[in-house]
Amino acid sequence: MLALASGELMSHSSLRAPGADPPPSPPPPAGVVARMAAIVGAANVISDAADLRTYECDALTSFRARPSLVVLPASTDEVVGVMKVARDAGMPVVPRGAGTGLSGGALPTPGSLVLALSRMTKILEVDFDNGLMRVQPGVINLDVSRHLGPAGYYYAPDPSSQSVCTIGGNVAENSGGAHCLKYGFTVNHVRGARLVTADGDVVDLGEGGVLDPPGYDLLGVLVGSEGTLGVVTEVVLRILRRPEATRTFLAAFPSTDEAGRCVSEIIGSGIVPAAIEMMDRLAIEAAVKAVGVDWLERWPDIGAALLMDVDGPRAEVEHTAREALAIAARAGAIEVRVPDDEDERQRMWKGRKSAFAAMGRLAPNYIVQDGVIPRTEIARVLAEIQQLTGAAGLRVANVFHAGDGNLHPLVLYDARVPGQERKAEDLAAEILRICLRYGGSITGEHGVGADKAPYMAEMFSEDDLETMARVRCAFDPDTMCNPNKVFPTPRLCGDRPGPYRAHATERDGRADRG
Amino acid sequence: MTRPSMATASGARAGTASDAIVGRMPANVVEPATLDEATEIVGACARDRAHLAFAGGRTELGLGAAPEQLDVLLRTTALSRIVEHAPLDQIVTVECGARIGDVQRALAAHGQRLALDPPWADRATVGGVIASNAFGALRTRYGSVRDLIIGISFVRADGARVRGGGKVVKNVAGFDLPKLLTGSLGTLGLIATATFRLHPLPETATTVVFPRIALADVQRVLRAAREAHLEPEAVAALASAPASADWQLGIRFAGFARGVADQTARLREAVNKIDIAIAMEAENAGAFWDAHERARARDAAIRIKVALLPADPGATELVGRIAAPLRDARAIFYPTLGLGFVTGGSGTGDADAIAAAIEAARRTLAVTGGSVVVHDAPAPLRARLDVWGVADGPRSAVPLMRNLKQRLDPERRLAPGRFVAGL
Repeated sequence: MLALASGELMSHSSLRAPGADPPPSPPPPAGVVARMAAIVGAANVISDAADLRTYECDALTSFRARPSLVVLPASTDEVVGVMKVARDAGMPVVPRGAGTGLSGGALPTPGSLVLALSRMTKILEVDFDNGLMRVQPGVINLDVSRHLGPAGYYYAPDPSSQSVCTIGGNVAENSGGAHCLKYGFTVNHVRGARLVTADGDVVDLGEGGVLDPPGYDLLGVLVGSEGTLGVVTEVVLRILRRPEATRTFLAAFPSTDEAGRCVSEIIGSGIVPAAIEMMDRLAIEAAVKAVGVDWLERWPDIGAALLMDVDGPRAEVEHTAREALAIAARAGAIEVRVPDDEDERQRMWKGRKSAFAAMGRLAPNYIVQDGVIPRTEIARVLAEIQQLTGAAGLRVANVFHAGDGNLHPLVLYDARVPGQERKAEDLAAEILRICLRYGGSITGEHGVGADKAPYMAEMFSEDDLETMARVRCAFDPDTMCNPNKVFPTPRLCGDRPGPYRAHATERDGRADRG
Repeated sequence: MTRPSMATASGARAGTASDAIVGRMPANVVEPATLDEATEIVGACARDRAHLAFAGGRTELGLGAAPEQLDVLLRTTALSRIVEHAPLDQIVTVECGARIGDVQRALAAHGQRLALDPPWADRATVGGVIASNAFGALRTRYGSVRDLIIGISFVRADGARVRGGGKVVKNVAGFDLPKLLTGSLGTLGLIATATFRLHPLPETATTVVFPRIALADVQRVLRAAREAHLEPEAVAALASAPASADWQLGIRFAGFARGVADQTARLREAVNKIDIAIAMEAENAGAFWDAHERARARDAAIRIKVALLPADPGATELVGRIAAPLRDARAIFYPTLGLGFVTGGSGTGDADAIAAAIEAARRTLAVTGGSVVVHDAPAPLRARLDVWGVADGPRSAVPLMRNLKQRLDPERRLAPGRFVAGL
């Protein structure tokens, strides 16, 4: 379960937050440190116990484990060398970007080597004519768009942590963001990747960025595989021309019922918004305290807020914005507020994006979930959550990507009160089960990681999971890459398949046997 | 040879020449009436160690090599239910044998569409479109199968029915099996059902047609459109003599009336500015898309798919070289995607020359990662080349694909040899 100390979400320093110290990991096998140092330089090998603490968790700080070693390579060749040494030493490898993940995807396994990609930060190539860009995995998400900004282009996926999270981490998690409602997820914007496998083999998957490379869509499987298939050392991104116009509005509603109905009606009208975000009363209270927006003064009876962006060519946007505003008014909005200027627009979005971090003003601790439901079920699911919350004597703030039904319920609690953490964990688990009961998913964008692995067995059958495990085994038969993630129980691959008996015609690809 | 377990299956009969996949005739054909029956048949084939292939509307059966062995051909045509359409959630779940055209008609009644427009919509089935990764001009804006599919259930070679993804658009739980099955051509399992995200039908659409334009100028037009922030939903270029400068370009805008009118007007402005002296017309849009439909769905003896970087300056020459040895050549190019099809009319033509042209194009494209795949070809041409053009090389993904095939179909019973590199 995802438990965070409040306000820690974006902070690297949070990784050093006091908490129960995990036991030290066994030291790496003899000679490994020296061999790694020979590959990446001694300065880029971390084996000192105190320094290893930095890597004992990601943004899911309640899960901690000390790695045996951290290595920071600077090139594909170095990653290959590191993987080979790790394989020979029998050390599992946990890839890591900025450590902003919320599901414990970068949580070390005891005895593991953390392969941190934070030195691989080069933007290698930008090709505006073909709408492509090649980057190393350690490049920060927002830096991609910053780099492209002067030319009027950008990279669409915008996870809330985009000012610190890396492209490599986004590829591992198939990150979304508020605007994926219209633009899709990381997987829709990655056109190629260079992969180093557990064996140290380098494989290019659509590396040139040309569409439809013949063969299985391994790139589609790699994106979102949470570091279990290997280490990505280069990524080809699809870049887009910045939309000509964006219109934003904030609608205040008496309750989440009207706000939910508004979302359904806007989408039912044929409008494809770039983003529709919803916050309930408790989340609004937190945002007001954190960012100083005046929503409560302005609308004392506000029960829910909808924040919406439409973007695209100007004339289209003006039309859709007008339509959406009218729908919001009809759906029972107390008021629909169009920002006076870019400053006010930024404040509105800041109110939304600060929601997680703002929870510290409401409670000492919280658990954030990432369940997804069909968006038409929002009102019913929120009612069920409300009922459970009341029964547990807890409070839940709801912040979510309403357009695609991706809930982020924040279960508030105080760890100092005996039994409350346990109650909060149980409630958070029940919320996921509600999502599954309505035909949804346990995670929309944060990933399964270590956190939600136990729930995979509630979402998928044993045969489904076994099929996914076979895919993993095709890439990494010894399960050396990020073990103990995604799957609810540890899995072995069995024997590596024997030597493949290829026909001569197969070897040269001449397969006409008709 | 009739296998006992097949004799009682729905629609069971002996295979005939018209059931063949690239000349390989199946011993038996079955046409299960339900997904459960289809699952049982795949399981029975596993027990019998029978070699299987799947066919829907038979629109893309020319893709790939001949299966090395084929005991049972499973036709999905009776598995055509729409399992669930949730208009307000904008998702649909359909059985594999549902025809794309039928699905679109059902969705249109609710003002929606699956933003996927492959050729032969009245024959092509959902399962076949996924397995062959078929697409049309709508890919310009909405992407291909992989960008629209959100869930899948399929029957593995061992008869287990499994699923991946789900029915909500946003979902990162587990590996993306829907994408893995996309384009896998029946070599990893029988696609049973698929769930897609839907889009609203646009209120209106207008196409601007450039009746005569060189392919190089097409890129200039598109660059100008991009700079002007225009967002067409479909762009296609057609040539009846691919080596010449005579391409026809169609750029379609769709959406709300006001926005479409504005974008159309601004495209004219943008093109005027770059001084491309070509007549533009918006009136014969229907004729343009009819011509596009005829060109892509023509009864071609040879169909070759070319994939390159959209702005590749060598595109014109490359397409021309592939087309040169073909009889009655035509070409379709999707210039924002860098994908195109070159087709040849009846007869083989000079198979040696065609094979040589394809291989030369492959060598040229190797530099940028492009590809040339032969979708349809008569036997003499197939005998002269690998239809996929994929070989092991440095950093090749083929070894991983081979591992994957071995993990999911260890006995090589699903259309063995049909896929890339003999998989």
